[in-house]
Amino acid sequence: MTTLIEVSGLRKLYTSSFRKPKITALDGIDFQVGEGELFGLLGPNGAGKTTTVKILLGLTRATAGDARVCGLPVKDPESRRRVGYLPEGHKIPNYLTARQALSIFGRMSGMESSEIVKRIPPLLDKVRMGQWADVRIKKFSKGMTQRLGLACAMIHAPQVLLLDEPTDGVDPVGRREIRDLLMEEARNGTTILLNSHLLSEIEMTCDRVAVLRHGKVAAFGSVAELTHQTANYKTSYKMVATPVDDRLVASFRETGAGVERVNGHMVLSVTDVEHLNALVDRLRAGGGVLSELTPVRSTLEDVFVDLIRADQGASVGAHE
Amino acid sequence: MKVLVANIEDVMREAAARWTLIAYFFLSTLFIIIFASAINLDIVDGALAGAKLFGQDVGTPDQAISIEKLVLGFETGFSVFLYFLCTFLAIFATAHLVPRMQEKGTVDLYLARPVSRVRLLLSRYVAGLILAGSNVVYLMGSIWLIVAWKTHVFNPRFLLAGSIIFLIIAVLLAFAFLVGVFTSSTAVSIMTTYGIFFFGLMLAAHDKIAAAVSKQWQAWLIETLYWVFPKTAELGQAVVGFVGGEAMPDRVLSALTPAPFLTTAAFGIVCLTLASWLFTKKEF
Repeated sequence: MTTLIEVSGLRKLYTSSFRKPKITALDGIDFQVGEGELFGLLGPNGAGKTTTVKILLGLTRATAGDARVCGLPVKDPESRRRVGYLPEGHKIPNYLTARQALSIFGRMSGMESSEIVKRIPPLLDKVRMGQWADVRIKKFSKGMTQRLGLACAMIHAPQVLLLDEPTDGVDPVGRREIRDLLMEEARNGTTILLNSHLLSEIEMTCDRVAVLRHGKVAAFGSVAELTHQTANYKTSYKMVATPVDDRLVASFRETGAGVERVNGHMVLSVTDVEHLNALVDRLRAGGGVLSELTPVRSTLEDVFVDLIRADQGASVGAHE
Repeated sequence: MKVLVANIEDVMREAAARWTLIAYFFLSTLFIIIFASAINLDIVDGALAGAKLFGQDVGTPDQAISIEKLVLGFETGFSVFLYFLCTFLAIFATAHLVPRMQEKGTVDLYLARPVSRVRLLLSRYVAGLILAGSNVVYLMGSIWLIVAWKTHVFNPRFLLAGSIIFLIIAVLLAFAFLVGVFTSSTAVSIMTTYGIFFFGLMLAAHDKIAAAVSKQWQAWLIETLYWVFPKTAELGQAVVGFVGGEAMPDRVLSALTPAPFLTTAAFGIVCLTLASWLFTKKEF
């Protein structure tokens, strides 16, 4: 798989003002994103997500390290030839119509006028804005502006899409449509770097994820890897059985298992698979019937919150 | 070229949508209409029998007026007025181009394209010049045509004097771009550009000011500022001198030397180079 986004040892220090200490926005991050991959960049506010994207686009310069897009160093404007970008809180000039905006940004991306004219109608249809082609942007709702922003990022059929909160302000149906659109683009070979606070969205869309914290990569891998890695969750199971009474719960707890009764079923925390089997044996020995036993996967949100809390705990410990 | 065309389209559409273009040309048209109705010539058998401007007789009844001289007088007088009008309108209509582009959420959309920052800024500068230049052509051209239509006297020097006005607009716009890149403020860009225009007018009296100051370093400072800043007064004189030609006094014609043009152009080039350099270094 060809690597289209490559970041190594990236550091960024900001000077806030004269004589004040420098702020570390990025502290040596590394990651690579391959062709056709949907990659999620997560992190709390100020973790360095937007700074990373801005460095990839040459909007800001790295203090140290290397960043390449489509094989070219980011300081070369040509590295942006096949890149589409949707910034967070973008302001497409609102005196333009959707068609005019796409035409201007298409030409700035090096497209021929004839090519732009052909591309605009299907692209606007793709983002469900076909009927609004000749309406001024100032009349658009936030969701519509966001869809148009996506179309502006995609006007020149880029190989790489860098999207900062693409579903911001979009209603649930629209969010799903954008998600489907991004997945389709990725299937067609477009590399997508998604920067979002909506963890459920990243979980549903992205192949791999990097969680940034204090300018460092705190966790990295596929969503499945991350959600299974977390110790708190890997040995939890949902058990649906009858009868579930206090005697059975007490008998499970005797083995050292954690038992929580939730809406008619139990969530069991066990040490390993043998421990789980021992509980099933106890259930059957007591005349119980097992109807469902499924591992409880942590969500990306759980992983994210754990990472952040662990960090806060560490900070508190350090202060103490 | 595509970037330039895109920027010209963007600038023109913005000017049209924000009423700048309409206000710009409305004010110019208003001036042209007032001028056209104010000038009243009485020509008998191809000779000028009388002339009125704003209802006032031009010349005395017993004095024979040469129509060519009258036209030259009109055009010379109006060229000074147009020098100020065109420059002021141009700065007002174009000073926002950089600050508005640098707004958060907008600048990212432009800079994320495969265009170098210098090219982007210069394309915008050229787009601004086209907007301002079109108004100079409209104003000067219309007045020239009205005068020619009413008097049948064609003085091409009046039309060509537009290029001097265009030069001062180009230089001041370069300065407005520099301030715009640095401050991202339209108001500051407009204020400082008008400020430098008036400062240039005052510095025309640099000899007298330098002689009046008490300390030597102050005199040097005045002289240095005079040579560094655009020669707005001299270029105004040059417009008059160019339109009026040899009929003008030597004091006015003395502005038609290369020095004020070259030093003013150099100021513009330095401003534009600095603006480009700053824009390249700026982090967004």
